[in-house]
Amino acid sequence: MEKNYTPTADDFEFISDRDLSVDLNFASQGYWKGVAIHFFRSKLAVAGVIIVSLIILFAILAPIFSSYSYQEIVSVNSAAGKEIVAKSLPPQFGDGSAQNLFSDKTFLFGTDDMGRDLWTRTWQGARVSLIIAFVAILIDMIIGTSYGLISGYFGGHVDNILQRFIEIAGSIPTLVIISILAIFMEKGIGLVIVSLLLTEWIGMSKIARAECLKLKEREYVLASRTLGAGSFHIIFKQILPNTIGPIITQVMFSIPVAIFTEAFLSFVGVGIVLPQCSLGSLIEAGFNNITVLPYQILPPISVLALLMLGFNLIGDGFREALAPKIENM
Amino acid sequence: MSVLTLFLIIFVLFVLIRIVPGNPFPVERMSAEMILQKRAELGLDKPILIQFVDYMSMLLQGSFGNGTSLYNGAPIKPIMMICLENSFKIGVLSILFGTAAGLFLGIIAALNRGKFLDGLCTVVSILGVCIPSYVFMIFLQYFFSYKISFFPYFFDASRFLFSSIMPALSLSLFAIATVARFTRNEMIEVMNSDYVKLAEAKGLYGFELMRKHVLRNALIPVVTVIAPLVVGLLTGAMVTEKIYGINGVGKLMVDAIAGEGVDYNYVLALSIVFSALYIGIMLLLDILYGIIDPRIRLTAKEAA
Amino acid sequence: MFKKFFMLICAALLIAGCGGGEESANNKLSVMLASNVVSLDSGQCTDVASFEVIADCIDGLTQLDADGKAIPAIAESFDVSQDGKTYTFHLRDAKWSNGDDVTADDFVFAWRRHCQKAEEYAYIMDSTVACVKNADAVIKGGDPTTLGVSAPDPKTFVVELDAPVSFFPALMSFPTFYPINEKFYNSLDSGTYGTTPDTFLSNGAFVLSDYLPGTANIQLKKNDSYWNADKISLDAWQYQVVSSSDNALIAFKNGTLNLVTISGSQVEHVQADAELSKNLKSIPSGALSYLTFNQDPKNHHAGALANVNLRLAISNAIDRESLTENYVMNGSTPTYTAIPIHFAPNAKTGKFFAEDQNQFADYVGFDVDKARGFFEKAKSELGKDSFELEVIYSNDGGGSTKVIQAIKSQVEENLPGVILKLQPMPKAEYLDKVTTNSFDLALTDWVPDYDDPMTFLTLWTTEGCEICEHWSNADYDKIIADCTSGSLAADYDARWNAMYDAEKILLENAVIAPLFTNANAILIAPNISGVDFHVAGVNRVFKSATIK
Repeated sequence: MEKNYTPTADDFEFISDRDLSVDLNFASQGYWKGVAIHFFRSKLAVAGVIIVSLIILFAILAPIFSSYSYQEIVSVNSAAGKEIVAKSLPPQFGDGSAQNLFSDKTFLFGTDDMGRDLWTRTWQGARVSLIIAFVAILIDMIIGTSYGLISGYFGGHVDNILQRFIEIAGSIPTLVIISILAIFMEKGIGLVIVSLLLTEWIGMSKIARAECLKLKEREYVLASRTLGAGSFHIIFKQILPNTIGPIITQVMFSIPVAIFTEAFLSFVGVGIVLPQCSLGSLIEAGFNNITVLPYQILPPISVLALLMLGFNLIGDGFREALAPKIENM
Repeated sequence: MSVLTLFLIIFVLFVLIRIVPGNPFPVERMSAEMILQKRAELGLDKPILIQFVDYMSMLLQGSFGNGTSLYNGAPIKPIMMICLENSFKIGVLSILFGTAAGLFLGIIAALNRGKFLDGLCTVVSILGVCIPSYVFMIFLQYFFSYKISFFPYFFDASRFLFSSIMPALSLSLFAIATVARFTRNEMIEVMNSDYVKLAEAKGLYGFELMRKHVLRNALIPVVTVIAPLVVGLLTGAMVTEKIYGINGVGKLMVDAIAGEGVDYNYVLALSIVFSALYIGIMLLLDILYGIIDPRIRLTAKEAA
Repeated sequence: MFKKFFMLICAALLIAGCGGGEESANNKLSVMLASNVVSLDSGQCTDVASFEVIADCIDGLTQLDADGKAIPAIAESFDVSQDGKTYTFHLRDAKWSNGDDVTADDFVFAWRRHCQKAEEYAYIMDSTVACVKNADAVIKGGDPTTLGVSAPDPKTFVVELDAPVSFFPALMSFPTFYPINEKFYNSLDSGTYGTTPDTFLSNGAFVLSDYLPGTANIQLKKNDSYWNADKISLDAWQYQVVSSSDNALIAFKNGTLNLVTISGSQVEHVQADAELSKNLKSIPSGALSYLTFNQDPKNHHAGALANVNLRLAISNAIDRESLTENYVMNGSTPTYTAIPIHFAPNAKTGKFFAEDQNQFADYVGFDVDKARGFFEKAKSELGKDSFELEVIYSNDGGGSTKVIQAIKSQVEENLPGVILKLQPMPKAEYLDKVTTNSFDLALTDWVPDYDDPMTFLTLWTTEGCEICEHWSNADYDKIIADCTSGSLAADYDARWNAMYDAEKILLENAVIAPLFTNANAILIAPNISGVDFHVAGVNRVFKSATIK
């Protein structure tokens, strides 16, 4: 009964994502396990993790265990019934050595010019800044990276339209966007996060696009395409993992940018609403008295610097652990 | 294409600025009636599309119109040009210095990876990102103008270049940090790539290898971070300009939007100039990509 | 790359080397301005910096002496008619800096132009202040030639008023009433008047030698053709705009500036320094800081503040002494009246209008028990226990952020149940909210334009100024109308007493909670003397200043 068999369309099927043969050599050790091993092998990266964790720990615990609340104005009434506020005191340790009415009180970082404990405020500020930066940058990363990859990968008209949109969005001054947002939203942390979202994703998308332009010409992408992989499979499974290095570097740089943008917003009156504080607004406040009361700007700016150092070290560690080619080849 | 984008941007800006709360002139002592009268005089009672058409026709004649609350309602163009010139000069200085120093640091760090110089580069770039340029400006002012009276304490237009050094230096800090960091990372990545290994295997080494293979490939992402920095620095740095008393566009923008009245026309004119700059630099960037990386040029040709 | 970098460094060093050797500014008067000069057009400007610079360059009909009394300037003398409604000014031979004579027509031109332009300060011509005949109609778009000013000959300027104005001669020192050279103005391109030294004419003590719109540095020099040039000792001097008070302090220590204004923290620092504190002075500024309660029943918190007891409770829960001593710290004085202290002296007795700070102690003060009493009443009347109120304030620098935080802390501590939510915003947005009544409480600083209580009292009338239109009281309106242009305008004592009645209505209804009268803490170099400070209008005058 053997006859010449005529193939029909049903005999063929398109190779879809699930049928792709992926090289499992690396995966056999567990990809993320490998990353973790690489990561923790680096002393600097571990130092970064310790610094950032310590700051996060303090940011969570210090305001809880402090004897003052971040908005409490410390004051006593003098014999004449006048209120005397513990304002602008340099650091003191409650051992009675300070020559003022508050010598029994401990202010590890001193007090600000409103008579509030800077120790509590610094950590409260770190808490607020971290929340803002994390939320805003995470969302930015998702939006910006997808946008940039899609734009860079498809090229042509898609790229053209998407890039024109970026030009429009990017050229509207931040101040104008925020002034308008402020009509619809209540001032405070929420507004700051939304305005950061609207302005910071563009940088991220550019990095992703540039990386994508570079990577899409690589042989492995060509190979994937030849094997019939769909565009989105290539973008998110093949290109994305290889862009994570530059993107994480960008994230590490975006966090201080986010914190400073927030400080700038406070400066023009649409940022954190006092007496709530953030590292940015504390730096801003200390800046007004920088030469007469220099100790007021030191704690927030040091915490910020340490935080950034930590993030950078972690970023470096991650980057190298995620791209084992640097280490192994 | 760019012209169409610019047109869209102007339209969006025009509409947005009309929504910003506040009147375009000071109203503290005015009655409701006077406010309405003034708005009518400025044509703000007309439908927004007609206002837009009026504005565009004025723009096409090469005029940005007159201010509504700032500087006597004088024509905007000459005043804006002065501010742009000041910000540009300082911006260019700081970009040149920032990029040169950043590349230098980044390359040194990459070549000495893991050694002391690399660590130093990391510290400089982290400091650069952490310390706001205006705080650095204050330090410079404190030490170089107060402790040792070398530089003038405030900006002195009659000695432009000399008094530009401190602000340019403080503004370049962020550029140095960003450029150094990116250059280092990209260099390391490229130096570990197959083609560099191959070139090395073929006996190429030293400066020639760096120039022909490493730098070219490492510079692509670096160019992407420099471009937005250029726009940022050319369009002024508000706080630094304020502290040092520089008559620049950053300060002008804040005066226009945060004064007693939101001066619509100044905000619009400045935004349009910023946008045009931004688009121009993006175009330039695309062209630069092609020059640095021939692969991109080739694909672009195929697509066209 | 190395080479480029190296060359750049070398170039920088070279430039640096050439420019070294800062000249000492000690023998040149260098004055700090806290904000930009927004406009040198006397018909357009609205800010103190602009008023000050215009007054340096242009003389009006009169000027104020060191004690704030009106003395002749361009007008050598003036006559007042019997009914006090017609002023005839006799002008002296004065010249504009381009050589033209200053004539009565220059005044007529400027006054008509300002009314016609109807910018913010046109209000000072109308029936609430100067009462110039027909000013209201011209501002609303009437024929400018009907304005009650005329020039029968080049040296005689006649003003007709709708009602007698007791402080009219002093008012003439205010920049809105200054002349503009008509011929020169018309020769310029539209809108360019006052934008460069070439497009601006002086008839006063100084001429601009370097000025650009928005510039941070303004250079002035002596006007040799000034009618009183013999009395001017300053030759060349400058203004520098400085935005941070910390920066100002260092610039003063450095010798770059020799007259600066500083704020609280810097004042404390200076007081601790024996040498520096000799230069410290506190100058009353006449500006009143107060809280406005929005009584509009339609406002978004269902008009809780329409309840007088809630307003009184908040007003009495604020410790004003603590505010000035602990947070403002520049010499500002706690104030318990709607008119600031050190302001508006009575022409006959010489006593300040608000000399007696206890006269309204029943309504304004600091007494926690009393405040809680009012609060209990308010709670039972409104049937609510807790109130969340929004406080708006503009954050254009200054100490307002510290003050508002201190008020929040005091009110929330003294009146459990009241929560104040702070809402900082740019000035334009703040004014928008205030004029459209979308706020609960607003922190306001009001700077007087002229030395009479009316500059404050007209704020709260039903008609006119938009910044307080949610409260309306027929008795109050009647008193103000009578005092400005009505039956009491001619009777000095009756008007004076009626203004106390108006103030009482205001405070017993707790329309506002007065906080303190502002002062400026200044540092002035010991070799400078003769700078006059005024509480109203033009705040600093440098005509008789000398520097050794």
